[in-house]
Amino acid sequence: MLGLIIPLLVDSLTSAALIFFVAVGLTLVFSVLRVLNVAHGSFYSIGAYVAASLCLWVISAGLSPWLTFVALLASAVILAALLGPLVQSTLIQWTLGKSEAVQILATFGLFLILEDLQRIVFGVSSIAEDTPMTLLGVTSIGSVTYLNYQILLIVAAIVVVFGLRMMLVKTRIGKLLSAVVFDREMALSVGINTKRLFTFAFTLGVFLAALGGALAVPTSGAAPGLGAETIVLAFAVAAIGGLGQIEGAALAAVIVGLARVVAIYFAPQLEAVAPYIVMLVVLLIRPYGLFGNDQARRI
Amino acid sequence: MMKMTWVTAAAVALGAAMAPLHAQEKPASVGVGVFTFTSGPAAAYGMPGKKAADLMIDQINKAGGIAGVPIKATVVDEGQGTEGVIAEYRRLASNPENQVMIAALSSSNCLALKPAVEQLKVPTIAWNCDAHQLLADGKSNYYFRPNGNTVTEFAAYALYLLQKNPSVKRVAMLNPDYAMGHDAANIFSATLKAIRPDIEIVANLFPKLGTANFQTEVSRLLAAQPDVVFSALWGADLSNFVRQASPRGLFSKSQVILALGETVLQQNTLPQGVIVGVLGDGWWMSPDAQAKPETKSFVEEYKQRFGEYPVFPSMKMANAVIYMKDAYAKAMAANGGKWPSRDELAKAMSSGSFDTLTGTSTIRKDNEGMVDQVIGTTVKSPDYAFPVIGDMVRYDGKVLTPPQGEDPMAWVKSISADLLKSLPKPGSYK
Amino acid sequence: MRPIISVLSALVLVVLAVVPFAAPWLQFVLTLAMANGMVALGVAILLRAGLISIGHAMFFAIGAYCIAFLSRLGINEFLVLLVLGTMGSAIAGLIVGAFVVRYRAIFFAMLNLAISMVVYSLIAKMYSVTGGTDGMALSTPTFLWIPLEKPGFDHVLYYFSVALMIVMGYLVHRYWKSPLGYALSAIEGNELRLEYLGVSARSVLLAAYVVSAALSGCGGVIAGSAIGHVLPDFGYWVTSAQFVLIAVLGGIGGAAGPFIGSFFLELLHSASVNLTDAWNLITGVALIVVIVFLPSGLYGLIRKRRRSAS
Repeated sequence: MLGLIIPLLVDSLTSAALIFFVAVGLTLVFSVLRVLNVAHGSFYSIGAYVAASLCLWVISAGLSPWLTFVALLASAVILAALLGPLVQSTLIQWTLGKSEAVQILATFGLFLILEDLQRIVFGVSSIAEDTPMTLLGVTSIGSVTYLNYQILLIVAAIVVVFGLRMMLVKTRIGKLLSAVVFDREMALSVGINTKRLFTFAFTLGVFLAALGGALAVPTSGAAPGLGAETIVLAFAVAAIGGLGQIEGAALAAVIVGLARVVAIYFAPQLEAVAPYIVMLVVLLIRPYGLFGNDQARRI
Repeated sequence: MMKMTWVTAAAVALGAAMAPLHAQEKPASVGVGVFTFTSGPAAAYGMPGKKAADLMIDQINKAGGIAGVPIKATVVDEGQGTEGVIAEYRRLASNPENQVMIAALSSSNCLALKPAVEQLKVPTIAWNCDAHQLLADGKSNYYFRPNGNTVTEFAAYALYLLQKNPSVKRVAMLNPDYAMGHDAANIFSATLKAIRPDIEIVANLFPKLGTANFQTEVSRLLAAQPDVVFSALWGADLSNFVRQASPRGLFSKSQVILALGETVLQQNTLPQGVIVGVLGDGWWMSPDAQAKPETKSFVEEYKQRFGEYPVFPSMKMANAVIYMKDAYAKAMAANGGKWPSRDELAKAMSSGSFDTLTGTSTIRKDNEGMVDQVIGTTVKSPDYAFPVIGDMVRYDGKVLTPPQGEDPMAWVKSISADLLKSLPKPGSYK
Repeated sequence: MRPIISVLSALVLVVLAVVPFAAPWLQFVLTLAMANGMVALGVAILLRAGLISIGHAMFFAIGAYCIAFLSRLGINEFLVLLVLGTMGSAIAGLIVGAFVVRYRAIFFAMLNLAISMVVYSLIAKMYSVTGGTDGMALSTPTFLWIPLEKPGFDHVLYYFSVALMIVMGYLVHRYWKSPLGYALSAIEGNELRLEYLGVSARSVLLAAYVVSAALSGCGGVIAGSAIGHVLPDFGYWVTSAQFVLIAVLGGIGGAAGPFIGSFFLELLHSASVNLTDAWNLITGVALIVVIVFLPSGLYGLIRKRRRSAS
């Protein structure tokens, strides 16, 4: 039993790291723009395909395999730069201020469009590219051998948590974002250019989702249907943590990762249902999530 | 326009009503529905099947078709989901031009199609799905399975393991969570326990079909410290699993058995010493296959056309097409050379033996085909850039098939050490 | 005003009546369209209260799986299956609804999503009970205790669904014109005022929720019977979202709206299946176009024409 604790922890944190990237982007966009983007998971899966394709190109062009790491990061940046402002200034901007039903439906429409675009551009088969994983090698703890890549994922997630918090607190744009989150009308009346901030926040969200997809490629590859699975899990994590709460998303990701891994180890049939049961239990006790607060009641 | 529609509808209805009843004039073409995965993670396994179908059908058409009638194949993607597959099958079957269906790859889809197959009375060749429940009731008139089923296939793996590794104690299993995966796990473990009741199953995992990330499963398997890891994963799932488990040492710490492992040999990711097989005898490099000129030319044309060697799903599909062609010949011989109806074709399919590209298949009364089982261990090859199968054995299919009418699981439980002793040894098939 | 609608409706009914003869390949598609329309109608009921549920596929699935289990137990008469399946979903709706009607807006949506994903995941993983991702097969039911072959049953199911659709549409129309129905719209407008009037918003919503769950379960029974097979995907979140899509596409202004949306989508799909693979793209664009330019959906389009004609 004791011998299982370390594998359990490592796997939980790795699993948590991957879903955290998507969930934090979703929650950030909700916090700033007050829009729940159903298409967010598509950025993850398109990010995965772009990253896999870019890495394959790096390998086939005979470049140094270490450049695949750069490729992973670059693909997220490229995707965010291409899609972020575009989607934000067209669809998302239009949905601001409309009812949730409209927002959910509009972004669901976007999800459908992106699903097919992904299929048309990247095809219907799975792509695998594991160079970054093999490059980093393995470590053994006890009888279990781990990929060092898994550790990299966990470190990357921690960096993102702290990085986001630092950005919000220390940088100018971060403070502007916080102001908009806190009181949008006040921020507008003080002369803050909310539209630019929204674009920035949304693009950051896309970047984080695409980064999650890219970082997942060396272990899981890219496959059709990834977007749909990811978004619903990201919803669960974001809701558990409290919509709009970055640290909440991190904690929720850890809890969900733990739940899934414990399930695989001890009750494999419950693995798929574990995150949603956690979501239900948390929402029963704290309807707005662990760190969330009552934002939606308006009379 | 309404009138035309009515007339056409009446014609269709009349045609549909007439078609199955009696033999007809030779049609302009014979429609065949080919069901396989052409999208998604399963396409890695399904596309070789489609390629083989394309190649075989082209070859037959070049030689003039079946008794002069060209084959017109419609490929249906199982990746659209079971609901879509059922709808497509019905749509194709309602057109009397379609006479035969080659369906399906996934056991889920075969099981879901079975009611439609029997209701619509279209001879259907289950070219790949092997879950034994499909024909277990013995009452099927239109569903045929020339390539064998899970009972023979997975009992064979257990027996090979016991031959190679008689002192095995701790066994872990990792199989996809659907009919075939559960079947594989049940039959493999039941066979082991029938001969060695002291064997311990230390892990029995069922990841969802289509899972891409097996890291947690690998950790779980490593932590259980098994002597043997048995897996019937396939398609992209198998490729992903191998790539993720290999650097973590699973292959060196345990004896791994990959029931559908031959499909990933060419990816050159498997180390030596992995027990693999072809769920039947469909290995193109087997001594029997290499002794047949038609097989060698098939392989050569396949390599030339597609840039890769075939894998066993390709051989299964090719064998299914041969089975179909032979059935037509048999049916026409039985009715004096006239083009057979669907029913006459079904009758021809329901019995007899036919030569496949890699051996022989004998069809029983319950429409199950009895096929030999080829299993071996991966070894490096001096002739190819990828590992090949060595230390091979070829088990006689008839010996490993439960007698008709007997409950397959009861038969599995009754497998004795004597049966094991009577089998040819690993390395005996050269 | 009224004669035009009556003529239109009569025309639609005549077309529906002759489809199995004139265009037999459409029968299956239209049966499913009607089943989907029923669920969309259920979703529309809640949309009128301003509540969006992205989890209603769970009731669709529960209806379908109920009859699969009943069929396995030997109950084979369609009408019995229909009643029991609908009741099963209604009971599930009562249990879930009692909990979720306390919430509004985004939280209502998320909770429905969470519960539906629990149901979906359980169905998909409990292989030994539900057949897991393979699903369960349904043997062809009898109708009015008369045994039928599948093709005959399919015809009967089609006509029965048309009749059921009309009855349902009428009943929901009366419901929306009743005090309970007006109270629903009032919840979206100003819930507090409604409470001041002494009407419990929660009770109104719970009633609506149970009705919508029953409608969805009914749709599930019909869809399962038509396909002959039930799958966990019946309860997937994308399926839920598609039901909402149909409701909005068709318009929630009248009970006919969701059915109009469903027929439109299925016919569009059948027409385009030979031309293009990009079905999701088309649906997504259609959805966005309707939301932006036709907020009242296709039904709203007809109503506008009606108004301008008078």
